[in-house]
Amino acid sequence: MEAEVIESNILLPQHLNFKRVQVSEKYPKGQARGRHWKHLKQILQAENYQACSPDEPTYVNIETPPSKYPSKKFCDITGCEARYIDPRTNLRYANTDVFKHIRILPNEYVQRYLTLRNAAVVLK
Amino acid sequence: MPYITRPARQTDYRQFPSSTPIVIDNGSSTFRIGWAGESNPRISFRNLVQRPRHKSTGETVTIVGDADPTLMKYFDCTRSTLRSAFDSNVVYQFETMEYILDYGFERLGVDGYKVDHPVLITECALNPVQSRSKMAELLFETYGVPSVAFGVDAAFSYNYNQRLGICDKDGLAICAGFTTSHVMPFVAGEPVLESCCRTNVGGYHVTYYFKQLLSLKYPHHMNILSWEKAEELKREHCYLSQDYASEVQLFQTGDKTAEEKSILWQFPWVPPPVEAAPSAEEIARKAAIREKQGQRLRDMAAAKKSSKISELENELQGLEFLLQQLSGVEEADVPSFLSATGYVSKQEIESAIAKVTQSLRKAKGDQVELEEKAEPSNAEKYPLIDVPDSMLTQDQLKEKRRQLFLKTTSEGRQRAKQKRSEQELRREKKNQLDEEKRLENPELYLEQLNAKHKELSEKVEQRKRLKTNGSRPNGNQNQAGGVGRGERLNAAQKERMRLLTTAAFDRGKGEDTFGAREEDWQLYKLMSKGNDDDEDEQDEDEAELARITSRLQDIDPSFVAKMDAIPVQSATEVVPKFRPITKEDFQIVIGVERIRCPEILFQPSMVGIDQAGLDEMVGVSMRRLPTKGNGVEERITSSILMTGGSCLFPGMAERLEAGIRMIRPFQSPIRIVMASDPVLDAWRGASAYAAAPQFSVQTFTKEDYYEKGEDWLRKYQLRYSL
Repeated sequence: MEAEVIESNILLPQHLNFKRVQVSEKYPKGQARGRHWKHLKQILQAENYQACSPDEPTYVNIETPPSKYPSKKFCDITGCEARYIDPRTNLRYANTDVFKHIRILPNEYVQRYLTLRNAAVVLK
Repeated sequence: MPYITRPARQTDYRQFPSSTPIVIDNGSSTFRIGWAGESNPRISFRNLVQRPRHKSTGETVTIVGDADPTLMKYFDCTRSTLRSAFDSNVVYQFETMEYILDYGFERLGVDGYKVDHPVLITECALNPVQSRSKMAELLFETYGVPSVAFGVDAAFSYNYNQRLGICDKDGLAICAGFTTSHVMPFVAGEPVLESCCRTNVGGYHVTYYFKQLLSLKYPHHMNILSWEKAEELKREHCYLSQDYASEVQLFQTGDKTAEEKSILWQFPWVPPPVEAAPSAEEIARKAAIREKQGQRLRDMAAAKKSSKISELENELQGLEFLLQQLSGVEEADVPSFLSATGYVSKQEIESAIAKVTQSLRKAKGDQVELEEKAEPSNAEKYPLIDVPDSMLTQDQLKEKRRQLFLKTTSEGRQRAKQKRSEQELRREKKNQLDEEKRLENPELYLEQLNAKHKELSEKVEQRKRLKTNGSRPNGNQNQAGGVGRGERLNAAQKERMRLLTTAAFDRGKGEDTFGAREEDWQLYKLMSKGNDDDEDEQDEDEAELARITSRLQDIDPSFVAKMDAIPVQSATEVVPKFRPITKEDFQIVIGVERIRCPEILFQPSMVGIDQAGLDEMVGVSMRRLPTKGNGVEERITSSILMTGGSCLFPGMAERLEAGIRMIRPFQSPIRIVMASDPVLDAWRGASAYAAAPQFSVQTFTKEDYYEKGEDWLRKYQLRYSL
């Protein structure tokens, strides 16, 4: 280890006195361990919220419902209110200038714009 | 983002009795740890872990929080990314969490065999019990913490501000965090979790949106725009527009106000070193070198020339000497004498002498006038031609054939020469005529000449273009990508190929009438390869063009040959390609993004999240209130507290007020206040809470945890109003 690195103290020590179980004991090196954690989705499924009474607040049911107003459509490029949708790329656009721009846009960028508002086609 | 210095390890751990709780605000963006009762956390760092490989030792190391980028050169980060323990706002990766807690406790200066202090740690509202129990287990089992309490950050923040008198007992906290935003009503100082609501939009989404928009706008600067930089720019420049739609219109029309609102960000850019023009000295030095080299070449050429001349002179002398000797030799002995020298006859020697003299003269730079010399008559030169074949021997026949050939070629040469001289004469005559014309009417003449020059040059150009690529002048449909064989052929060749193919595929189709008409046979002529009829014509045109051009150059000073004009034009076309990169290329204009990105907090549908925005959330939350009436709603809306890092956008309070006013009944009281410190208040509230004497009642121990089980833990909730 370079002196500079040691001096800067950025590394977490391997062994910490105050711990009862060291990380190296808990997750031994070289041992293939499967995924030992669950994603939030799986956690929520395991919570068995269906069993709770509907009045009881849970992580899931405190989520805000969709807006009661119709969502406004905004131009994907400029952020203005968009009146049109390009049927070829599915991008929303505000005026002809933007339309010209999106028609020369490579597909990769089109997809990235669509991903930004969660509208891209995802191949599984 | 201000550079986070590595927090020093705290040294006063021993001074705290084991009853003093440790307070941790485990936020998804920042981890803060400190002692209960203190006003500020001791340590705070970004809640991230990376595990790069140390380059020289190959050891995997753990780095928590931000690290000095200059030190990262020692590590191989290609296979490790920055890892967060959070999925949305719930802790799900406890291995990562453990590294973070390790680091937090280590920096706090914990020593001994366990962390012998009660711990108050924040979590999200209604944390799933799995996450909560794992966290409790981690604290109990790994660190030996005696007792633990969980609380919600927004509630602590509200609690703290309530103590400061900023908000009332009944009220509402709008907590716009990093990954999620909550709206949480409070009645009598307690959060009403039933009517709490959460939208999964926060500062993270704003930064991400900002970064993505900018990198889509400036694709070549994608690498420079790091997450940290985007975060910094967001904090510095983004603000909430009071009327998004109309303000965006401003940016689109691009008038002056928009320009004022746009922000120019200059990337660090070092201009490339400018090549200094060579100094006079340099030029002189180079010229001298060139001169020297030229001189050397000239010297070499001169030496070669003189050696050649002397060689030739020697040869000449030898030959003359031979001739002299020959004249002294008797007639009969001539053949035997000559056989030794390698010559056949006296004539041959003489012709050799003539040849050598000529080349000597040529070498000396004299005019060559071989042809002018009195030529021997045909009869003399080619004596065998007129003799009939029957009178000749085999050798003589051969000789005769040779002479015939020589004769025809020399005659041909002479004819060509004659033609040339005739042409010369004609040109001279033409020039004379031209001159006369010019003298007669100079202006008209010049005009005519110019017109003719133009016509001719166009003709020549056209032909050249046709020859190189037939289809170009008709429009540039082939400019994009012509790669086929047809691209490489000129028009004539193409036509020939077409004829050949049609001929090839025409066979046996109907009645064969080929040859019925005379013109049919022309086809073969067209198909033949050397079918360039107009070659001669072209040459003539070119010669004429050259003549006119030179003439024009002579008499018209303002004349510029078209050939010169073309390169100038094409040069201007080429220039933009090699435009030097300037400072402007490294600038990013942040215009509409300033308002577009924070807008997603109010309209999450902009980033495809189908949930209501912050202002509507208040309405949802009010609707969900279990106990209504008695003026509770009015009391709540007259004490709305904004907390969380994303509330720091300028214009937030006004925008919220406008939004809430639209939802609430007419003339209902609305008061929106900003937390004393939206970022740190959660920790401060937790610290104050943990310092209160009743805190110990709220905690639970390891034994409680194992005895009471998961169901109890699910219902576990702090009482915030002590």
